[in-house]
Amino acid sequence: MNIVILTIVLALAIASLNLKKSIAALISFALMMLVLGIYYISLDEKLLGLFQIFVYTGGIGVLMLFGITLIGVEFPITKKNPWTAFISFLFFVLVVVFGLKNHILLVAHHPEIVESKELFANSYSDFVIIFALIGSSLLYATIKMINVLNPKRKKNV
Amino acid sequence: MFETDMLFAIALFSIGLFGVTSNKDFLRIFFSLEMLINAVILMLASSAHYLGLSQNLPLAYMLIILATLEAGVGILIFAAANKFTHSVVPDEIDHEGSK
Repeated sequence: MNIVILTIVLALAIASLNLKKSIAALISFALMMLVLGIYYISLDEKLLGLFQIFVYTGGIGVLMLFGITLIGVEFPITKKNPWTAFISFLFFVLVVVFGLKNHILLVAHHPEIVESKELFANSYSDFVIIFALIGSSLLYATIKMINVLNPKRKKNV
Repeated sequence: MFETDMLFAIALFSIGLFGVTSNKDFLRIFFSLEMLINAVILMLASSAHYLGLSQNLPLAYMLIILATLEAGVGILIFAAANKFTHSVVPDEIDHEGSK
């Protein structure tokens, strides 16, 4: 069942990048995130699934709709680099061979590593600080960009 | 299985990487960036479920909020660039702006 859901996710992801109509691409992209949210719910991570569906899919969908109003009904025709598919496939193969294979071997030989939850917990506060800094800098960039969008604002309004 | 989830997450990340590097219009680059973040969230959620690393879930929530913020900033940059250059392709912004 997991494989079926995740295969649908991959198919929708590929479709959203290859469809020529922008609204169809947006719909397939939103469906991809919706199916991922349903998958998280099926994994018993109900809050994460609902968060994914309502916050992520809803928020990104509305923002991308705003982008579609600028881009038009169809995507512009642009040149595509032929080597990017090869590089992405090479990345996939390298990560699977060196990352996933090593993980499987590691777990097979040292099953106690899976139980050591401190691996992440020790560095968790660092993650929180880094993400807070990135989030606040993004907010600052948003405010600055709003100022850029209105350069000719009148002073006496 | 955790390994199956990881395999699909890496595949989703590779598709996103392909989209970021190959597409040249703003909107599909945003789609691809969101796919990269979705792949990481999938890894975090599956590791929380299968390996019991429930500490990963707050990181997944933060990632979702960060991705939404990132999309907001990105769309604003897109709107600003489109306003000044009337272009939806990032490669053309420099040429249009220099005219």
